[in-house]
Amino acid sequence: MNTVQITRVDETQWKALADDVVVGHGDVFARPDGRRFVSIDVWDDAAFEPLATAMLAALPAPLRTLLAGDDTGALSRWERAGFVLERQEWEYLLSTDVVIPSPTPGVTVLPAGTADESELRLLDREIRAEVAAGPGWHTMPAEVRPGPPGDTLIDPSLYAVAVHEGRYAGLVRVVRPRGRGPARIGLLAVRAAHQRCGLGRSLLAHALHALHETGTTTARTEVDQSRTAAVTLLEGFGAERTGHLLHLVHP
Amino acid sequence: MPRVSKGLELEGTVLECLRNATFKVELQNGHHVLAHISGKIRKNYIKILPFDRVLVELSPYDLTRGRIMYRYRN
Repeated sequence: MNTVQITRVDETQWKALADDVVVGHGDVFARPDGRRFVSIDVWDDAAFEPLATAMLAALPAPLRTLLAGDDTGALSRWERAGFVLERQEWEYLLSTDVVIPSPTPGVTVLPAGTADESELRLLDREIRAEVAAGPGWHTMPAEVRPGPPGDTLIDPSLYAVAVHEGRYAGLVRVVRPRGRGPARIGLLAVRAAHQRCGLGRSLLAHALHALHETGTTTARTEVDQSRTAAVTLLEGFGAERTGHLLHLVHP
Repeated sequence: MPRVSKGLELEGTVLECLRNATFKVELQNGHHVLAHISGKIRKNYIKILPFDRVLVELSPYDLTRGRIMYRYRN
């Protein structure tokens, strides 16, 4: 391949040309929380380094990217560009045809769409504040959902809520599939004061049962490898690991 | 926003999910290609499933290989 020429197409895109043939491109995307994620797709390995160099020179640090855990070639290229491993996630697939455990005493689950919206929004804000003050959102799988700035609860009808000791204490958000594919469990969270009381188990069991009742056979989700309670919960329901994601950062 | 030309791009339908995030895709012209998921899709957590309509960028070096750049809403 002859010399690669890099062109910045617009604020978010770069392309690499060799002999007037597009041999690669790079993109940057800012998540709602402000973190910037970049990607580089090339048809020739020689185009990767000049693209990475041009993007790193033009964009403020830190920059992040996601890679498949088994893509060792890509990992080497990104590491040579100065990226380091920040965290790792498992991708899981769950069957919705599971044995539902007996209800946890003292816990009631309100099906999706039946919770009081103002109490649900309060619960969502409380949980998000606890995560921000504790492990931080950077440790959570980052689903990108469009929505108004500052509002994290876009569609209340997607949330089932666990009530414990008379309070809204946990929630699960399930997005039903567009077609025959799996549903998505986008968030499962329990307030700190109500953890280790079986709320997560009750919420997950409820979500899977509700999907099964309406003909959805599988659901998928992602979990940070370091969050052992979440990993144990999912694998206790027979979740199968289907993928491994690497989060890299260029500090 | 108009799409920027990035090489040879064709629409297709995912026929089968293979190993290592590779997909068999039938293009609109009837040809079948093996396509990987692009970094652009991966960083937005977009999952590709059979029957999804997708935009595939073909390799300039091998027109039987491609990369999924976009998943259309069915």
